[in-house]
Amino acid sequence: MWTTQILKKTSNSDYNNLISGKIPALIISNVLSKSLCASLSEKILNSTSIVSVPGISKKIGTSLSSHIYEKSKYFSNAKTSNQSLKKIFSANYSPITIMQQTISKIFQKQIFTANENGMTYSSAMIRIHEHGDSVHLHRDNSNFEMSEYGISDVNNQLSAILYLQSPFNGGELTIYDKMWNKNDEQMRCPEFGYSSDLIKNIPQKNISPISGNMIIFNPKLYHKVESVIGIKSRITLGFFFGEISENYLYSWT
Amino acid sequence: MSDIIWGTVTKIISINSFEMNVSHQKDTNNDSYQDMEEIQFTEIDIPSIPLDESSRDISQIEQNLKDKFVKCEISGRNSENRLVCTVSHSGAGGY
Repeated sequence: MWTTQILKKTSNSDYNNLISGKIPALIISNVLSKSLCASLSEKILNSTSIVSVPGISKKIGTSLSSHIYEKSKYFSNAKTSNQSLKKIFSANYSPITIMQQTISKIFQKQIFTANENGMTYSSAMIRIHEHGDSVHLHRDNSNFEMSEYGISDVNNQLSAILYLQSPFNGGELTIYDKMWNKNDEQMRCPEFGYSSDLIKNIPQKNISPISGNMIIFNPKLYHKVESVIGIKSRITLGFFFGEISENYLYSWT
Repeated sequence: MSDIIWGTVTKIISINSFEMNVSHQKDTNNDSYQDMEEIQFTEIDIPSIPLDESSRDISQIEQNLKDKFVKCEISGRNSENRLVCTVSHSGAGGY
């Protein structure tokens, strides 16, 4: 059965199963305590670095997808973005570092924020989904889409998401048992993502956004975020990571 | 306003032309277009493809355009029945 694994002990097969899409996701419970998540969420919601962008109501940080062909602008924004995140998270207790350490421990590989020619990639992105917000069906694939960037050479891209605040209802991550392939480009939507026709009758797994939990999944599997319902926002911290060699991982957004 | 179509590049013909599977057409286009069209690009908004045609080669075009989803702003048809367009990438398939 295609079902998520709740991590109880480290296993090499988890990594291989994520890469192959044999499991939809790995859930690591209680990476952060509920009280720490609550205090971080309060800091985030009071931050002056929040920006509103089309397709998602609010975010802190930048990502490659906003700068596919604007490399210098991306690295300039990444610098600002990383400074904003440092301001929000205390230097000695950054949830980005905790996520990286957790990944390193699970997969027995060292992980670093990616850099290219001395420039550091954006280390993470905070997304704030408010009532009515959702994310349309898509996949993430830097190998195919970000050819201007060194990160496009990284192997086996995975996605890590830490839930910092759960909404009252909705906001589930739905992952489909369907891996992207080049022919699917014919089903693209002009602005973002793919036609829902691609996932008709495809098995799916819904993952509830429980604060403190971290999930790791293969972002080449089609996925979307269901509508958030209620006045409490869904707040996540996320980044991608992938192999630069057998024992080393790079992370980025 | 010029007509706009979107679709996937299926075959590279030369350093300034390709074949495209048209999947989307702007609602307010003046003309309608075939499912498969040949495109001649006069301008291209993809930094890895040099603007100067003499600096381009086919492998460069293959690497940057083959199988990619692109947006074509149409200015007319040439004598070979190819659509003459300004080509750019369109949106993103993901983050």
